[in-house]
Amino acid sequence: MKVLILGATGHVGSRLHTHLQTTDISSIAASRGRMRSNVPNHVILDSMNLPELTKQLQNVDAVVNCVAGSKDSIGTGAQILTQAALAAGKPTIVHLSTMSVYGASEGIITEQSSFDPDYNWYAAAKCEAENHMQAYAQAGGKVIVFRPGCIHGPNSVQWVERIARLLEAFRLGDLGNAGDGWSNLVHVDDVVKAIHLGLEMPLGAGEIQHFNLAAPDSPRWNQYFIDLAQAIGATPVKRIHPQQLKLDSKAFSPAIKISQKILEKAGQKKLANQLPEPLPPSLVRLFKQHIFLDAQKISSQLSFMPYQESLTSSVEWLKHEHS
Amino acid sequence: MISILNNLPSGSVIEADICIIGAGAAGISQALALSGRGLKILLLESGFEFADDKTQHLYAGEVADEKLHSPPDKYRQRRFGGSTTIWGGRCMPFDPIDFEQRDYVPHSGWPLKYQDLAPYYQKANQLLEAGMYEYDADKVFDADAHAAIKGFKSDIVKTNNLERFSCPTNVGDRYKQRLLVAKDIDILLGANCTGIRLNQTGNHVDHLDIASLQGVKAMVRAKKIILATGGIETTRLLLNSNDVCKNGIGNEHDLVGRYYQCHIAGNLGKLTVKGPTNVVRHGYEISPEGIYCRRRFALTAETQKKIKAGNMVARLHFPKIVDPSHKIGVLSGLFLAKNFISYEYGKRLKDGNSSLGIYLKHFANIILDPIDTIKFLYHWITKRTLAKRKFPSVILNNKSNQFTFEIHGEQYPNPDSRITLINETDELGMRKVKVDWKYMPEDIESIRRSLKLFVQEINQSGLATFEFDDDKLEEDLTRFGAYGGHHIGTTRMGTNPETSVVDVNCKLHNVDNLYIASASVFPTSSQANPTLTIVAMSLRLADHIAQTLNAGKSSHSII
Repeated sequence: MKVLILGATGHVGSRLHTHLQTTDISSIAASRGRMRSNVPNHVILDSMNLPELTKQLQNVDAVVNCVAGSKDSIGTGAQILTQAALAAGKPTIVHLSTMSVYGASEGIITEQSSFDPDYNWYAAAKCEAENHMQAYAQAGGKVIVFRPGCIHGPNSVQWVERIARLLEAFRLGDLGNAGDGWSNLVHVDDVVKAIHLGLEMPLGAGEIQHFNLAAPDSPRWNQYFIDLAQAIGATPVKRIHPQQLKLDSKAFSPAIKISQKILEKAGQKKLANQLPEPLPPSLVRLFKQHIFLDAQKISSQLSFMPYQESLTSSVEWLKHEHS
Repeated sequence: MISILNNLPSGSVIEADICIIGAGAAGISQALALSGRGLKILLLESGFEFADDKTQHLYAGEVADEKLHSPPDKYRQRRFGGSTTIWGGRCMPFDPIDFEQRDYVPHSGWPLKYQDLAPYYQKANQLLEAGMYEYDADKVFDADAHAAIKGFKSDIVKTNNLERFSCPTNVGDRYKQRLLVAKDIDILLGANCTGIRLNQTGNHVDHLDIASLQGVKAMVRAKKIILATGGIETTRLLLNSNDVCKNGIGNEHDLVGRYYQCHIAGNLGKLTVKGPTNVVRHGYEISPEGIYCRRRFALTAETQKKIKAGNMVARLHFPKIVDPSHKIGVLSGLFLAKNFISYEYGKRLKDGNSSLGIYLKHFANIILDPIDTIKFLYHWITKRTLAKRKFPSVILNNKSNQFTFEIHGEQYPNPDSRITLINETDELGMRKVKVDWKYMPEDIESIRRSLKLFVQEINQSGLATFEFDDDKLEEDLTRFGAYGGHHIGTTRMGTNPETSVVDVNCKLHNVDNLYIASASVFPTSSQANPTLTIVAMSLRLADHIAQTLNAGKSSHSII
C-alpha cells in the first residue's frame, strides 16, 4: 500500500512517517517546505494547490491528512483534498480531526455526540473539514476520521513542553475546580497506531468511520499537572488560586502575546521566544471542561498506552530536550 | 440535575434505584462512586448550597452536660457539602490495630480488616485532596533532616506517623460540577427525610417520607436506601421511624444511639528539647505534591498491646493559650479575638472566666511582641485567609524549645454514652436528640499509661525532657469535653445482630435494603479523625451496593 502523508513535518505526521518505514506500507511525506532533517520519501507539496495535490494522489492508495494551521488550511484545505481525491480516483482518506469538534460539550462524549462549531474558530474549521470528509464519502470515497484528545508524548510542545514550563513557573499546579476537567490525553504513538489501523481497515465504497482517541485511564488535568510537576521537580506543587488564573489568562498572557507579536514583527524572534509562556483563556476553559472522550469504539482494536507509561515517555523526552 | 423539593407538587412520588440521604462527605462520595454504572441515583439534601438558619435549626437538641459536649447543632452543617463546609481538613487512616479485637478494649473489633479498606483509602485521599496515600512520614520526608526532634530514636515511641491536610475540601463546592455532569444523579435540595417507612413485616424499606420546611411533602421509593446524615442524625432518623418497629429501626436490642464516641483530647505536659531550636520541627512540612503534613508521636501497636492502652497520638504544640504567662503576642491575640472566631474553632480558647487582669496581660503580650504578631498576621492572611489550600492551624516560631503535647486519643466504647430522643419536636415534627456523652476512667488511665512511656522514652533519649501533671491529667483531657465533630459508634457494625446494628456491609441486620454511610457504624474510634475513613467506607459501600444491583463497575471512573 502506498500512502501520502499531508502535514508530515508536524507532530503526528512526522512520527507516522517514521513508523510506517518499519511496515510494509510505503509512505510519502509531503510538506510545504523542506524537512528539518533528511527524511526518506519526501516531497515538497502545497496541499492547497489542487492540480499538484491531484497529481500526487493519483499515485497512492490512501492519504493521511495531518494538516494543521490556520482556519483556511484546515477547512479549505480539506475541501481541496476531497476534490483532488475525487479527481484522482478516490483514494482512502484518513483524516485527523480533533475532540474540539464537540466544542463546549460536557459529560461522556461518543462519536455520535453533536458538533459545536460555534465554540471557537478552531472548532469551526475542524467541523468544516469533517463536513467535507462526509461529502467525500457520500460521493463514494472511503474515509476514516480520528478525533484525538490532547496528544502528548515525545515532541508534544503543546501538552508537555508548554505545560511543563507553566508548572516550573508555578503558574499551573493543582487548580482545584478549575482543573477538574478530563485531560483526554492520548500518546502520539497511539495516534500513529490508530492511523496505521485505519489505513488497513477494510471499508466499502462510500463508507465513513469516526473514532475518538483518548486513553481510557487518562486523568483529570489536576492529576496530570501534579504528576508532571513532580516528575520534573517543579515542587512543591502549588494550589493555584482562581483569581491568579484569571489574572494570568486575561491580563498577563494577552500582554505576553502582544509583546511576542511586536517582537516577531521587529525581527526579534529570538527575543520573542524568551518571553514567558502565554496561558490563553481557551486553555483555562479547557482545564475545567468536564468532557470525557469515550474511545470505546476503537478500544477493541487498539490497546492504549497506560497513563503512567505515557507520562514517563513524555518526561523522558522533556528531560532529553533540556539536557 | 439539581432541584428543590419546594418546587415539586405535594404528593409527588420520586423513584430511583438508590436514594442517598445527606449530601456531605459520605453522601457525595457515594453518589460519585455509584455514577456511571447504569443506576438512577437520588441524592437528598435537607439544606441548600448556602447556609440557612432555619434548616440548621433542625439540628438543635439537648446535651446532658454542656461542659462535656457541645450543643448538637454545632460542628454539624445541614447543607449541601455537609460538615465539610466547616471542617479542619485533617486526614489520616485508621491503623491496622484499630480494626482488631483487643481484649483490653471492651466491645472492640471490626468485622473487616485494614486491608479491606486500603484500596478505598487511596481513592478517599484523592477525593479529599490530601495528596498521595502515604502516611509513613519517613517515606515522604527525610527521616533525619525532617525529624521531629533531631536524633530521637525509640522502639516504643515513633515519630513517623503522619497527618495530611485536605484544603480543607468542601465536597459540595468541589464536586458539584461532577454531580451535575453525571446524567444518572439527581440532587434534591430542601428535602428533609421525616420517616423511613418499613413494610408490615419490618424487613424492607417501602418508602421514605420527605418534606420541605415550607410544607411540601413527597415520597421516595428506591431499591436501596443509604443514610449518610452523620452519626447523630442517622441515629435520630432510625429512632424517630418507629411506626412498625416500636423501638425504632434496627433497635431491637436497644443498641441504636449507644456506644457514642468522640475523642479524648487535651493539651498537656511540658516538653523541653535540648540544644538549638533548629533541632525541632514542630510545624507543617509541605510534601512534593503540595500537601501540608505533620509528624505525630505515637506508640507502636505492639507497645499498645503490651501496656493495654488504646490508640493515641500526640503533636508538638504551643503553650496553653489562656495563660498569658507564655508572653507570646500571637497567642494572646487569638485569646482576645476568641469571640470573633466561630464556635467550632474558638471553643478551646474559652477556658473558664478570665479576669480583667488576665485580659490586660494578654494585651501587654501583644504590645511587647509586635514584630512576631505582624509576621504571623501576614502569614495567616496570605497562607490561610486568602489561600485555597489553607495553612492548617496556628504555628508559632520556636524560640524556647518548650512545647506541650496535644493529645488525641481513642475513646473506649461505652454503652452508657448515648444519644436518645426527647419529647420536644422540631418544625417538621421530628423528636429532637439528647446527647449524653460519657467517658470512663479507663479512657484517662489508658492515656496515662501511654504518656508514662512518653516520659520514659523522651527522657532516656537525653535529647529532651518531658513531664506531665499526673494529678491533673483527667482535668487536662476533659477541660473542653468531647473533641467536637466526631460522632462515632451509635449504629455499630458487627456480625452479631444482638451486639451490633449493621453488618459488615453497613446494612441493617434485619432490613434488606437500608444501609448506613457514617462514622456511626465504626465500632471503635481510633486515634484518627474520622472523615477520611467515612469517605473510604462510603466508597466501599458504593461498590457493594452496585454489586448487589448487578451494576458492575463504572465504565469510567468518575473519581
